[in-house]
Amino acid sequence: MSRELRITLIASGALVLTGALLYASLFTLGVLPRLGFAPGYALTAASGDRLTSEDLRGSVVLYTFAPAGGDGEGRDTGAVMQEVRARLAPEDTADVPVRMVSIVLDTDAPPALAAAASRAGADGDVWRFASGPHDALRTVVRDGFGVWFDRQADGSVRYDPVFVVVDGMGIVRAHHRVGLPGADILLRDIRSILREARAATGPARLAYEAAHLFQCYPTR
Amino acid sequence: MTRLLGTALLASLLLPLAACDRYEPHGTLIEPMAVPDFTLVSADGEVRKSDFEGQLVVIFFGFTACPDVCPDTMGRLARAVRMLDPREAEQIQVLLVSVDPERDGPAEIDRYASRFDERFRGLTGSREQIATVASGYGIFFEETPLEGGGYTVDHSAYTIVLNRQGETVLIWRYGLDAEDLADDLRYLIRNA
Repeated sequence: MSRELRITLIASGALVLTGALLYASLFTLGVLPRLGFAPGYALTAASGDRLTSEDLRGSVVLYTFAPAGGDGEGRDTGAVMQEVRARLAPEDTADVPVRMVSIVLDTDAPPALAAAASRAGADGDVWRFASGPHDALRTVVRDGFGVWFDRQADGSVRYDPVFVVVDGMGIVRAHHRVGLPGADILLRDIRSILREARAATGPARLAYEAAHLFQCYPTR
Repeated sequence: MTRLLGTALLASLLLPLAACDRYEPHGTLIEPMAVPDFTLVSADGEVRKSDFEGQLVVIFFGFTACPDVCPDTMGRLARAVRMLDPREAEQIQVLLVSVDPERDGPAEIDRYASRFDERFRGLTGSREQIATVASGYGIFFEETPLEGGGYTVDHSAYTIVLNRQGETVLIWRYGLDAEDLADDLRYLIRNA
């Protein structure tokens, strides 16, 4: 074997190995795509206080959307939220807080929101219930989060059961519309954002941005 | 041939090391993220986001009667742009979008913006237009009554930078120094 051929083979092997290592390490990071800005909003919380998107800046936020009376059979977003809350509770997320918001689609009366929050077991700190006037909800929920809902003449609401995960910069990172993901998928999304947020400086940040560049996104 | 392959091999091994010297931005730099186009009005008529493609666009949402955050941010942006050399500065377009369309007409908001730097432009529109644009950029704003009468507007205070293709590439939190803003702009001029 000539010297030139040997060098060619070694160089090719090294390039393939470097590429494979890079691909493997980036794919392992499994970042979530940045889908767009989540809408800015000012809603009324169950406590009667105002809840704005700015209050939650810096936190990873899991949103869901439902009537105050809860979901219909077979699509219980409330139960999934409860499971996420329970399984996150023992984890240390003090550095990057995780919050949950249930946006109520059929009433913005604080007593009704408080009753719904109480039934769901929401504590008002990590998990809050909030709503707003119909026009504001249309702008925030339908136009902003891209979640379809429609109030009926009898006061009931037709809607898409959806979970949306937003990062600390206010960017939508996951939007689960078709079928209801279980708590496992939502926890995977939240933990993925937490890992990325904790690696927000130095060479680790470059690795995460490279993962975005090569679209190393997890599959369901 | 041998020399070429040797160089390629060396480059592949040095690439990760080169990354260690990369610029650390003061704002949050992200992979380009699409944001919706918009049509608003300035003193000179209709303005679209797409009118500025080819330039780096810095967008801040504020209002002319804002007592603190808006003049402070606009002042820092003006100082940052003045720190750039003229060829760099001409690649930057700062836009102030009003979150108080009832009081800020096209002439008022444009005059207010250009008071900080004559190249800055102020934009406004109907309340619905502003709400749609603000929502597309994740901006919250809400009128809040004042005790003595009248109102102020609470609003998000971050600044968004778009690349030459009109995609979001950088987000600045409120309060960064003009020097830091200028450093980030220089980096984007070279790389965005």
